[in-house]
Amino acid sequence: MARDPKYDILFEPIKLGPKTMKNRFYQIPHCNGFGSEKPLSQAFFRSMKAEGGYGACCTEYCSISPESDDTHRVSARLWDDDDVTNLSVMCEMLHGYGALAAAELWYGGPHAPCMESRCVPRAPSQIPSDFEHLTYPKQMDKDDIRAVQKMYVDAAKRARTAGFDIVYVYGSHSYLPQQFLTPYYNKRTDEYGGSFVNRARFWRETIEQVKDAVGHDTAIAVRMSCDMFMGEPGTQLERDCLPFVELVDDIVDVWDINVSGISEWGEDATPSRFYPSGRMLPWQHAVKKVSKKPVLGVGRFTNPDLMISAINGGQLDIIATCRPSIADPWLPRKIDEGRLDDIRECIGCNVCISRWEIGGPPVICTQNATAGEEYRRGWHPEIFTKAKNADNDVLVIGAGPAGMECAMILGKRGMRRVHLVEADDDMGGIMRWIPQLPGLGEWGRIVNYRKIQINKLKNVEFHANQRLDANAIKTYGAEIVIVATGGYWATDGLNGATHDVIAGADASLSWQLTPEQIMAEGKKVPGKKVLIVDNDGYFMGVSLAEKLAMEGKKVTIMSHQAHIAKYMDFTLESPNQNRKLHKLGVEIVVEHYPTKIEQGKVHAVHVFDEEAHDKVWEVDAVVLVTQRRSNEALYRELKDKVGFSELKKEGVNAVYRIGDCVAPRLIADAIFDGHRLAREIDSPNPEEPLPYKRERRVINMAGAKAEIDEHMAAIHAGVR
Amino acid sequence: MSVLVIAEHTRGEVRDITYELITAGHALEGPLVVAAIGSDPGALDLNRAGVDEIIHVRVPQADFENDVYQQALEALIAERRPDHILVGFSVNSLGYAPAVATKLGLGFASDVFAIRREAGTTVATRAFYGSKVHAELDFPGQRAVMLMLRPTIWPAAGAASAPPSVTERNVTIAGSRARHKEFLDLPKADVDITGADFLLAIGRGIGDKENIALFERLSEKMAATLASSRPLVDAGWMPSSRQVGQSGKTVKPKVYLALGISGAVQHLAGMKASGTIIAVNKDPEAALFNAAHYGAVADLFEVARELEKLY
Amino acid sequence: MKIVVCVKLVKVVGDEVEFTADGLDVDSDYLEHALNEWDACAVEEALRIRERLGQAEVIAVTAGDKKSEEALRRCLAMGADRAVRVDSAVTDPISTANALASAVAPESPDLVLCGVQSSDSVQGSTGTALSELLGLPRVAVVKKLEWSGAGPATVHRELEGGLVDVVEVDTPAVLTIQTGINQPRYATLRAIKLAEQQEITLVTAPAGGDPAYRVRRMFTPPKGEGAQMLKGNPSEIASQIAVIIKERLK
Repeated sequence: MARDPKYDILFEPIKLGPKTMKNRFYQIPHCNGFGSEKPLSQAFFRSMKAEGGYGACCTEYCSISPESDDTHRVSARLWDDDDVTNLSVMCEMLHGYGALAAAELWYGGPHAPCMESRCVPRAPSQIPSDFEHLTYPKQMDKDDIRAVQKMYVDAAKRARTAGFDIVYVYGSHSYLPQQFLTPYYNKRTDEYGGSFVNRARFWRETIEQVKDAVGHDTAIAVRMSCDMFMGEPGTQLERDCLPFVELVDDIVDVWDINVSGISEWGEDATPSRFYPSGRMLPWQHAVKKVSKKPVLGVGRFTNPDLMISAINGGQLDIIATCRPSIADPWLPRKIDEGRLDDIRECIGCNVCISRWEIGGPPVICTQNATAGEEYRRGWHPEIFTKAKNADNDVLVIGAGPAGMECAMILGKRGMRRVHLVEADDDMGGIMRWIPQLPGLGEWGRIVNYRKIQINKLKNVEFHANQRLDANAIKTYGAEIVIVATGGYWATDGLNGATHDVIAGADASLSWQLTPEQIMAEGKKVPGKKVLIVDNDGYFMGVSLAEKLAMEGKKVTIMSHQAHIAKYMDFTLESPNQNRKLHKLGVEIVVEHYPTKIEQGKVHAVHVFDEEAHDKVWEVDAVVLVTQRRSNEALYRELKDKVGFSELKKEGVNAVYRIGDCVAPRLIADAIFDGHRLAREIDSPNPEEPLPYKRERRVINMAGAKAEIDEHMAAIHAGVR
Repeated sequence: MSVLVIAEHTRGEVRDITYELITAGHALEGPLVVAAIGSDPGALDLNRAGVDEIIHVRVPQADFENDVYQQALEALIAERRPDHILVGFSVNSLGYAPAVATKLGLGFASDVFAIRREAGTTVATRAFYGSKVHAELDFPGQRAVMLMLRPTIWPAAGAASAPPSVTERNVTIAGSRARHKEFLDLPKADVDITGADFLLAIGRGIGDKENIALFERLSEKMAATLASSRPLVDAGWMPSSRQVGQSGKTVKPKVYLALGISGAVQHLAGMKASGTIIAVNKDPEAALFNAAHYGAVADLFEVARELEKLY
Repeated sequence: MKIVVCVKLVKVVGDEVEFTADGLDVDSDYLEHALNEWDACAVEEALRIRERLGQAEVIAVTAGDKKSEEALRRCLAMGADRAVRVDSAVTDPISTANALASAVAPESPDLVLCGVQSSDSVQGSTGTALSELLGLPRVAVVKKLEWSGAGPATVHRELEGGLVDVVEVDTPAVLTIQTGINQPRYATLRAIKLAEQQEITLVTAPAGGDPAYRVRRMFTPPKGEGAQMLKGNPSEIASQIAVIIKERLK
């Protein structure tokens, strides 16, 4: 199929200073957990997007000095020549696809707690970080200012040596240059604080120095937040940013425009729960009106029509993506080839971001099970090898996220026939009702994408309204059986806090309910006062609280933890979700767990009350969001009652299970599980994941021998 | 040469296709004869411009039966030897017309939507492969041609300035092996959108969630079923059961009225087979205008309010 | 008791269309194939009659080339007992009916079920033409079927606009089956595998008579100027829309 001509603008090259980008698709700096210390994972991850058509790909935030050390979170680093070597691999691979490489040079100031390097960060004023609360900076004098500016220059030179085409002087997310610009961070009374010109001075000088050093053949990018939503003290568009653009426009080659500070950067990386795509276009437009240089920015762009509307409407010159590029690194190529329904759209769940926020783990993606696996497992999101055992028929039982993914990938790997069978009347499993929770409509894209792909696969058939029992499975005629029957919410209050049920918890009663009873079965929540027992820690409890409060109930949500929905801190959804609950008058009770549930009352105790005083909440209904359980019954019947040898007699050579029916987990992980089994269906033992490559230093015993011998000699000599 | 048109009627009412067949017959040479088969054909209004003769074929059966129409038509063909026989591509006609064509070795084509005469040959156009492809057909050999014509393509013939002549004819029916017993008006149950004849579909253009109520009201007044494109379902404003599109439902209603839908390929895939597509959108470049039969660049709220007044 | 079901392997054209060199048909490289949706309902209806009556032989028949046996294999996998292919090219409905008749007539079936139409040709005529060749009564567009196995059957004909005509038809008869009458069962992998191995009887087509029509040319319709744009203020546009709707809903 051919490209629709209305999208031609997205494929026009554009000059960024001394460089030319081949099209308008730009992967904005974003984290992946690989940094400079996993150089192959880094390079394979980024170059997948270049292979998919991106005209430029960036590193994540790239530290310019040990003073900018965000451990436990993983940043890239350009501290020394070995870092240059490691990051040069990424540059080489990107260039191989005709894409530009960009390094986002970063100095965090007090937001980077230096837990590995044990250095002390410098900042315009000595106030602890609003993001990392224990970190105090050293207040910079003029020598400090020169020293830090030199770090930018040296890092820029290293970046150029590594092969980067674009270097950033990065301020967004309240990092050092933006700290100088912003009164909230800058209380100085010298020529680096106070008036706009003074507050802009540090950033302007740094840009000038970097440009002097590398600007002759390297493009200079500036990433600036145009509104921190903090009122007067925060960065403001008209007072600070537009004047800054005018001030340095001549020496900047490309503007990267977003909003927000660091403590609520979910206003930039907007969850779909709260914001639609293109949220920042008004600010990007404002900058574009005063700048003569190209302007790029993100906005969770997945829809090519919105992309061309942003460019044609003069709001952006270049469409930048972060999360949509993780969900589908081949987005540009699919638009180019007219394959719009093959695009795997970002759902805005921010599970990818949550991994960085937790600190350490590699990136994952709910929609794209191959994100982060490009190197360590060699998975390509669009290319599949034909299974060595393709001459087999497969029965997948359950068309939830794991089952759909598994059937789809088995189909793409050329299995002779795949039958995906579902008891309900359509595909989706829990994803049929989760997107009906407030704000989660875009999460339905998980089902949309797989439904379309499965419909296209000629070797995959989907059959609804079929509840197969063990006997039917035995005689179905499949050589491979995969059970994907999902999970359910505990009806007896079993929970991870007490490792026990809750006395009186029983969701078979009319006034006690579980999430799927409410959402999938239509069980009515009686009365007005509802108490939600939430031991889950992610979105289910608070989403139900929001939904029931909007329906007019008086809602209390109770958690034994110090605060509710802790995982939503990592997905950046907490601040706005809490604002919503507050507005809806939801009573939030933390550090309590229920001891007994009876009609009309829930008894609870404070977790730190050694005398366990009984506190009582009056309720009409109780919702149990305590924990999930696997729907194991079918698998157990196959394994324990029928037995694998019996099944073998009927021609069933293998029985596997995937997803929540093994152990409940994130949707992203259920999809991963289905994907992995399908990728490894022809390995010697598909049930066991194949080992993945680990980028680590393996000691070269011969080379280290001298060092070790010297140390041992000193011990024997009694010197040590 | 002559053209024989078989009138269609149900429960005493002439169906519109009959008047359309008459108009189509004007393109062919010779007198145009309309035959009405039934127990009281005189009660049917067939006075239309271009009709040269009406034949009332009286049979015992008041309502349609396959064998009755087959025998009546065969008798008429034997007597009148028309060159062209036009019937509607309809449920009734499917029950007898192909049988007559088979028995008498006629030229035959169904679901024809264009006819012309070219150098003494009849050329008929129909679609194949789900309307993706058109084909021109002709009918070699010197024999009569029977064509089943697609409804709503030709306009209905207007009133006749002078009433055509009427011939009364009785036909003896040798036997009817498939006999009408009764009619059932089935109640319109809660239709799912795939079963609806008339869908009113809303898209991103409606702006805010609060505006949905306006369109719900409108759809009720117009006796349409409300449907939606994906963005509204994504936003959680409409249930997925109402979603039309590649990942929603595929629909083929008689009328698809789209308000504020731009016409993304995925949406088109779900509704482009609709009988008549009417698109209203503020954006003159909306892709849906390419696939629609009728379009209007207008403020959809104003059009909606005006429509409400008419129903 | 024998129930014959006539089925067709239909061609599904994707978005790109290429024609054969002579311009008279679509190039099959661009085609996908499937058992005609209406015929699947006909097969399902035959199987349900067999289940209700306790016993009957369900025979699937198609007229086509070797590839069309895929349709027969799907019928066998669903549960048909036997399958017959009449080796012939797919052409107009009357020629197709002639080919089918050569296999159906010798079976002396008690009931013949066909789909109302095929999704690729939408002629709607093959079943009725076949009934004439077999000398059997027929009802077209059947939405519901009640039959004790002997004597007349009572069927519902689905008319335009949703009106239902209840018809009593003498048997043996030919009925053309409308979608929606049932939900065709799917086949398990075992059934599909067994169907792969089953023997399909091959019958040569009789010498052809005159085809009902001849294709002069096939072409993709011009994209068209797009929609006919309605003009005027909102009130005028609304009036025009209302008129169109009223017309098209008849």
